[in-house]
Amino acid sequence: MSEDYEVEFIDRDERDARFVVRDITPAFANGIRRAIVSDVPTLSIDTVRVIENSSVMFDEQISLRLGLVPLTTPDDYDVGETATLALDVEGPDTAYSGDLVSADDRVEPADDNIPIIDLKYPEGADSPQRLEIEAEAVMDHGKSHAKHQGGVAVGYRHLQRIEVVGDAADWEDEPNILRGVIEDDGELVPTESFDHDLSKRYPGKEVEVHDVPNAFVFSIESDGSLPVSDLVLNAVDSLADRADELEQAVQL
Amino acid sequence: MSYKCSRCKRDVELDEYGGVRCPYCGHRVLLKERSRDIKEIDVH
Amino acid sequence: MDLRVIESEEAELSIEIAGEDHTFMNVLKEALLETEGVGAATYDMNPEQSGGQTDPILTIKTEEDTAPLDALETAARNVRDKTDSFRTAFEAAA
Repeated sequence: MSEDYEVEFIDRDERDARFVVRDITPAFANGIRRAIVSDVPTLSIDTVRVIENSSVMFDEQISLRLGLVPLTTPDDYDVGETATLALDVEGPDTAYSGDLVSADDRVEPADDNIPIIDLKYPEGADSPQRLEIEAEAVMDHGKSHAKHQGGVAVGYRHLQRIEVVGDAADWEDEPNILRGVIEDDGELVPTESFDHDLSKRYPGKEVEVHDVPNAFVFSIESDGSLPVSDLVLNAVDSLADRADELEQAVQL
Repeated sequence: MSYKCSRCKRDVELDEYGGVRCPYCGHRVLLKERSRDIKEIDVH
Repeated sequence: MDLRVIESEEAELSIEIAGEDHTFMNVLKEALLETEGVGAATYDMNPEQSGGQTDPILTIKTEEDTAPLDALETAARNVRDKTDSFRTAFEAAA
């Protein structure tokens, strides 16, 4: 038994995308969503060697912050593989994620402007505050620690269709808010195009909103470690791998 | 254990018998210095 | 993926699938329900905090002349087909 899905993009960006999948079952849609969140591995700092930390925060606090910095993840890293990064900043200055220097130039902070800590040169002190560390980033799954989640806002909702059922009463001038994507004459219309207000798109009409069966609008935002398309495809692959593994295990 | 006197800022070594006191200026407030070892942290 | 048969009869099978969670089990369950000859399929999973059995236990009941293990194999292949056709459709659109 084989299904044919139909995918159509609404917004497409490396970081943030929206697309409709038709003829997909809720269970499979949810499997993909869950796999994006917990089963697509990404690189994240996991061990920090503190050479100098004269800042006002504990080594552990700074390490936690470093762990939460999303790192771009090349596709040839396997789970458990590591990459080395270093950071050396002296006050008065703020240490940013962009100050991390990587041994592998394909592994770098996805954003350069995440503050790690503000370093001062206190009055009367004989030296400025300084943070010097070396760190190992490791490839791991979102289910082991949230810092390894590549998808930060991953969800889906039904594609919807609007049915005009009659004229609205004269005194009916309240907004009719709907968020998502509607299908109109085979065309996909994001609700922001009419300010999420159905009374603007269908003025003076009474409308009903219906879910389109088995059509889901996925909305996926990446933390920058992987482009959205890789997140989706890696998630689908992880489901495929498990299906293969099960099939082989059953045959034995 | 290495300490630093909070008044005269000089390095102070504490021994068992001297008590908590700076041998140079007699001040009784000493600050503990961070070890020079590299500390390894597992991020949780 | 380690499988451990808990109960096996002609038309009913309970099997523990170690290391899996709702992500895969729910997709598999649905694939089983789409499989010909399967009367009922469900899985049971306990939260980590409950202690004891936390790996999912899949239970399949089949109609006559379908072996539960064969149904499971068909369903696994069905999941694989779904992922393949999703990949094709996604790549065509992207």
